[in-house]
Amino acid sequence: MSIRLNRRRFLGTTAALGAAAAMPWRPAHASTPFTMQAAWINDAEFAGYFIGIDEGYYSDEGLDLTYLSGGPDVIPESTIIAGRADLALTTPDTTIRAIVEQGAPFKIIGAQYQKNPIGIVSLASNPILTPQDLVGKTLAVPPVNVISVNAMLQINGIDPNAVNIVPYAYDPTPLIQGEIDASLDFTTNVPYTISQQGVEAVSFLLYDYGFTIYNDTVVVTEEVLAEKRDLLVAWLRASRRGWEANFEDPNLWPPRWADTWFAGTGRTIENEIFFNNAQMPLMQNPAGYFAMSEEDIEANLSALGQVGIVGNREMFDTTLLEEI
Amino acid sequence: MAADTRLPLRGLRNAVIILAVWEIVGRLDLVAGGALPGFTEILFRLWEDRADYPRHIWATLAASGAGFLIGNMVAIAAGIVFALSPATLRLFRGVNIAIFALPPIAIAPILVLTLSGMAPRIALAALGVYFVTMTATVIGLSQADSRATDLIRGYGGSRRDELRLVLFRGAMPSILSGLRIAAPNAVLGAILAEFGGGGRWGLGAYLLGSLGRGEPDRLWSIGLVATLIAGLSYGVFALLSRRIVGATRAVTLNSAIPEVTKVGGTPAFRLFLTLGAVALPFLFWWAFIWLTGVPDLIAKTPWGVVDYLFLSRTAETAQARLLAALAETLPITFAGMLAGLAFAFLLAISSKLFPRAIEAFMPVALITQTMPLVALTPLLVLILGRGPSLTLWVTISVTFFPAFVTLAQGIALVPRSAEELPRAYGGSRWTELRMVTIPASLPYLFAATRLTVPRALLGVMIAEWLATGRGLGNLLNQSRGYLDYGMIWTVAAVSVLLSVVFYQAVVLIERRVLTRMGMSTAE
Repeated sequence: MSIRLNRRRFLGTTAALGAAAAMPWRPAHASTPFTMQAAWINDAEFAGYFIGIDEGYYSDEGLDLTYLSGGPDVIPESTIIAGRADLALTTPDTTIRAIVEQGAPFKIIGAQYQKNPIGIVSLASNPILTPQDLVGKTLAVPPVNVISVNAMLQINGIDPNAVNIVPYAYDPTPLIQGEIDASLDFTTNVPYTISQQGVEAVSFLLYDYGFTIYNDTVVVTEEVLAEKRDLLVAWLRASRRGWEANFEDPNLWPPRWADTWFAGTGRTIENEIFFNNAQMPLMQNPAGYFAMSEEDIEANLSALGQVGIVGNREMFDTTLLEEI
Repeated sequence: MAADTRLPLRGLRNAVIILAVWEIVGRLDLVAGGALPGFTEILFRLWEDRADYPRHIWATLAASGAGFLIGNMVAIAAGIVFALSPATLRLFRGVNIAIFALPPIAIAPILVLTLSGMAPRIALAALGVYFVTMTATVIGLSQADSRATDLIRGYGGSRRDELRLVLFRGAMPSILSGLRIAAPNAVLGAILAEFGGGGRWGLGAYLLGSLGRGEPDRLWSIGLVATLIAGLSYGVFALLSRRIVGATRAVTLNSAIPEVTKVGGTPAFRLFLTLGAVALPFLFWWAFIWLTGVPDLIAKTPWGVVDYLFLSRTAETAQARLLAALAETLPITFAGMLAGLAFAFLLAISSKLFPRAIEAFMPVALITQTMPLVALTPLLVLILGRGPSLTLWVTISVTFFPAFVTLAQGIALVPRSAEELPRAYGGSRWTELRMVTIPASLPYLFAATRLTVPRALLGVMIAEWLATGRGLGNLLNQSRGYLDYGMIWTVAAVSVLLSVVFYQAVVLIERRVLTRMGMSTAE
């Protein structure tokens, strides 16, 4: 106990010193350690951050960024609760649910995907183009996303029991072989993989059928928000720069990372290029990357409200975006 | 002698036949529309991807090596203490069984929640080796030759001299054979943690990234490399032990908690030991959380789980979900135990009746033990669907191997003279089996059951997680998505508890039956 108390006091003192030091005579190149937890393994989903690191956008802002990649057992929210990262990319349904049900001290300060890329992927030979088409079919869904699918079905007036939902174990082979009729995955990614097997895929977004939520929401704890506000704004600014650079030419960056960020991930560079192009329309917003408009926040809250996750506007903090 | 020289040749011939069949079946896409690639397709793919492997292999070796080292150091130290102090062994019985029985897939998320960086991989690898080596150490030390210790004592040597000159030397073969069986466990533990833990390198991470491609040859080549590493680690210690002690030992892991018959003291002291054995695992759990310093929102202490399950606002729904999951998981788990045992038993009997066929089957059996099941999922669901038969086969594949090795050993040890009796009276081979071989190998059947029973739950949970979407395995996975930390810890705790209960139940039945039949427990 005494150790933790000391550490907290030490952090407090450091923060106070930082505040007292004020901006004017802070050395231009002093960089503060800052850690972000991504949501998955390295792929084009995180291109903007890789550019920010490689091109020095974060260090320009005085951040010494540590990037942690994710995986199936990594719950990004846990990493920030445990204090191992300052900021995490999450799915808004889990984050808001954790705030509501467990009183988790989270704030959403930005949204990478304005439209959630998650959708229903099927083969063109056995196409599933609307939620109605799912009735009587077998759909593979990662267990963590079952609530999202049920929400979309309910919003469209379909009884979730009318669809046979089985676990999705990351491998599209059962879909290609016709063992399942459709699967839930990132529509920015899987259709490419399937096309590589000589089969054509079709897809639709849950977003386009009423499940209007963000994805890769930028989440921090209230404590970090209070203590490191300037660092968070700096992170948002540098990351936005990174994404702007990325989408100037979505084909440019993935090949450059063949020996760095994407080395040995098991995925192909062509796949990342496809991904990077496909995600562009899902991220763009006239107000800039990470923007969260009042209408969109409302749309998120109402979509989640339909599945019994009742959040409110207080869970979103748009003031940092305004400071970029 | 003649048989000895023919053996490797025959093994080679069988291997060639199996590879040829595999190749034809794979090349012609006969199984599951090509989800099983031909053997050479896998090798070509391995060559094509060769640049990717070194860093992944290195990461896996580093994590499993560190885990192996730490786990074994703790295990040998603990084994020495246990061998010297029977009371301590009694006291740690609960901890030891819990570590033996804990299903890795329920523990991996907990480790990733509470530890960071390489630590979850190392921890899972260390947990995989602890029990085997600890048991081997205790057995090795307690089987010391009393004549040698008498000699030391006779010349006025101290207890330390006894340990140094006799006990440790005597225990070496046993400890080395423990290390040999432990080594592949470390590799598999590390790979499982890499798969979930979000690191950049390691075969598990490579597997995860490759899964989305829908290319079975890549997945199989990763599995093949994992098999090779596990096999080599086994081989290195096999060689080492042959070099050092010139003796070979059983290939199976010993599931018996080394029983020390005479624990002295008053009844009150013995009661204290029993209560302590039950309490200690919970104490360790609590200490682990306290040491990691992870906030109580995500890290639940034993009390936190009780609170979540019985006292909190959501206790009722939590109980309902847990019970519903258990109702789905438990029946198939019992079926899986029986199926796994039956399969192992049939195999063991067949190895007596048709030794050659079983010899040919062994390489395939070995691959099923080291091939990550997640890579096999598409193949399995395409062949078996997503119903109970898939769950049963996954459970069989997770359970049968150690049980088979134990049973085969038991059957091989049945005294020749006993077997010759029915034969002399003109009995058939079946009569011989029924009347002599099977009853005589009963202790080994129990030892095999002890091995099978906790692992059956693991097999069922894996199938639920990957294919059927039911029960405890699914609940664990969904809880992760819901950030339902209370449920994550509850599932982990319940699955360990169940495995321990299953184990303990077998031990009790075993003691009863064997006592009645006048037999002793097989090690």
